[in-house]
Amino acid sequence: MSIDWVTVIAQVANFLVLVWLLKRFLYRPILDGIDAREAEITRRMAEAGEAEKKAQAAEAEFRQQKKQLLSDQDAVVKQALRESEDQRDSILAEARARLEQEQQDWHKHLERERQKFTAQLQRAGEETLLELTRKALRDLADESLEEAIVRHVSARLRPIASELSDAAGASREAIATTRDPLPEAAQALMQADIKDMLPDISLRFETDPEQAPGLVLRVGGAQVAWTVDSYTEEFDALLSERMAAGASGRVQPAGT
Amino acid sequence: MQLTPDDIVVFTLAGWKVNATIVNTWIVMALLVGISMLITRNLRPDVPPNRWRTTLEVIVKLIQGQIEEVTRNSARHVMYFAGTLFLFIALSNLMLVIPGFSPPTSSLSTTAALALSVLVAVPVFGIASGGVGHYLKTFIEPSIIMLPFNIIGEFSRGISLAIRLYGNVMSGAVIAAILLTVAPFFFPVIMDMLGLLTGMIQAYIFAILATVYISSATAEPDHPALKKEDKS
Repeated sequence: MSIDWVTVIAQVANFLVLVWLLKRFLYRPILDGIDAREAEITRRMAEAGEAEKKAQAAEAEFRQQKKQLLSDQDAVVKQALRESEDQRDSILAEARARLEQEQQDWHKHLERERQKFTAQLQRAGEETLLELTRKALRDLADESLEEAIVRHVSARLRPIASELSDAAGASREAIATTRDPLPEAAQALMQADIKDMLPDISLRFETDPEQAPGLVLRVGGAQVAWTVDSYTEEFDALLSERMAAGASGRVQPAGT
Repeated sequence: MQLTPDDIVVFTLAGWKVNATIVNTWIVMALLVGISMLITRNLRPDVPPNRWRTTLEVIVKLIQGQIEEVTRNSARHVMYFAGTLFLFIALSNLMLVIPGFSPPTSSLSTTAALALSVLVAVPVFGIASGGVGHYLKTFIEPSIIMLPFNIIGEFSRGISLAIRLYGNVMSGAVIAAILLTVAPFFFPVIMDMLGLLTGMIQAYIFAILATVYISSATAEPDHPALKKEDKS
């Protein structure tokens, strides 16, 4: 057993070559690979941390937006409710106003119809009253209605003849106004009575289609008249009273 | 009985007798380099490591951890040297189990060459680390009286390393050869198993001692505690 120095030198050379080869093909690739992988892991961890921060920021922003949206949604719902309530109130007020207007129009229409009916009834009543009176006078007293009216007016003039003469003043004219022309007999009777009571005053006859049936005598500022207005007014009052009673009877059940 | 492969001449190259020690060393070197090249040929940081690469990484990180534990720094050049020592001796001793294969470490020439390498590497690393003056100053510490003892100690370290490795590897081979004559089929198996264990331990001790010597030579003056006692 001895040391072969040639072998020793060769083994030293072999060992140095092996050191270089392992450094080249083992240690450096492995250690560099580990370092690179650690750097890669560090980089990815940093990226993951950055991504986590971004995700957290995005989450916070999302939560804020969601909160804002919910708040906006509540405001929008409240606004919509308020607007719908306003619109509903407006529509109701408009409908109510229209209804009231229609009711008023309907009442006006009813009032017009009532007035029209009343006027027609009044005219019919007047005509009927005149015809009945005229027929009753002819049958009972063999006298015309116009002559009876003239006599009635003359009878009312007689007590106030002097006052009428004074009221005539300077006009010296009396005007007898009727709706229809007076018959000649009635005019002659009227002329005779006026001449008898007011000799200084002449009498003139006029017609007025708007005037109620009867006779109106004007002497200056004074006036004496007999028309069927008072009767028709009384007739209207009676009629209205009956109509009101009939209307209430429709509204309220009979017997109450 | 053939105790050293130095005497086995495999072939002659230009008048130089290439013995089995050198050829077997080349085989061990080829295995180490070939396996390393095969595993580390396609290393990319974005590709996950396979099991072979992971095995190599574990081995390398283990060596690096042991060396860093001794030197207290991560000097790669120490690792290249001591790690290669460990891998070479460990694989050589492992190949003891191959019939007909004489491990290069069973040659006193190989162990002497490795010890010589450590002997040279210690001053080289020391000078590279702190300069010539700092290295030479370690010979007169703690006083100039210690100069001859330090020089003797420096050389005796290399000689003890060489003889320790050779003795351990060869003792296994000698004991196996003796027991082979007593009980040819049983004892050699046990001895080979023990030889594997002692071979790995010797590889570890040799590499660690080399690292300790190098680290003691490269230690900073403020950190003399890094010097360790010889465990042998």
